[in-house]
Amino acid sequence: MTGFEKVKACLKALEYPSISVANFEDKLVVQKIIYLLQLKGVRFGYRFSLYVRGPYSPDLTKDLYTNAKELARIDSKESLVKNDLTLIRNLPETINLTPSRLEVAATYAYFAFERNQDPATATASVRRMKGFYPESQIALGISGAKRWLYAPTESELREIASDAEPWGCASELDGRSADG
Amino acid sequence: MNAKTDPNGNLITLVEESRALNPDLFSMIRMQLMSSLFELGDDGATIRELKAVLGLSDGALHSNLAALESMGYVVFGNVTVEDKNLKSCHITKDGEAAWTSVVEWLKRMLECRRE
Repeated sequence: MTGFEKVKACLKALEYPSISVANFEDKLVVQKIIYLLQLKGVRFGYRFSLYVRGPYSPDLTKDLYTNAKELARIDSKESLVKNDLTLIRNLPETINLTPSRLEVAATYAYFAFERNQDPATATASVRRMKGFYPESQIALGISGAKRWLYAPTESELREIASDAEPWGCASELDGRSADG
Repeated sequence: MNAKTDPNGNLITLVEESRALNPDLFSMIRMQLMSSLFELGDDGATIRELKAVLGLSDGALHSNLAALESMGYVVFGNVTVEDKNLKSCHITKDGEAAWTSVVEWLKRMLECRRE
């Protein structure tokens, strides 16, 4: 199973009750979720390129518009294979599925994974493209992307957690959730 | 007859064809804006995304988007992202047609130069 049916099954597994194609935020979230999952090997069959809005697939957008009615109430009888389901369920545990975190994480993933940029260069690329987000969101999005893309060792996990800790504290002080 | 099939006057044909294009689209900033928005269709982009990615000043961005709006090529809207109201814009059907004409003409010009 690939394409839109799999997108629907994935959104159902992530417990999204509906997606509105009239809603900018909904479409942004779907684009970034599918991109991040595809990078980890969940095959949806969409081609993503770097656009003004970060990694983006016009074909996925087309499918969302074409199937707008089905997305108004997400129900899928398709069953996902175990490995895909595991990855899908791991995503919200690794990256906070808010638009800003997903945008930052997906953009970092694009530069680090597809353009093979080293971490410092990829971080600079994200700051240039997504500089309108607060530094805390950028740091947390990038740390989420790193955990998602690379299965880190225990020492790397401690390092990532330590890098993101000040931003996590800052977010908590702001009354926001933190996933660092 | 297009430039590629015209054995006698590729350059002349290209010049003639260029008269059908909107010369006000031929600036670097407007071409960057049109190509960026063309790819995103009805989804469009927020103003802050365009500003960040294209590296434009507020003045350059807003004056050029206003010019494209007055030509009927882009329209402005509002979107909400994480409870923030943001200004956005997207390309119109006229904008898509005008940009497609420019791109096709540029392609023919490059083919003509290659021959």
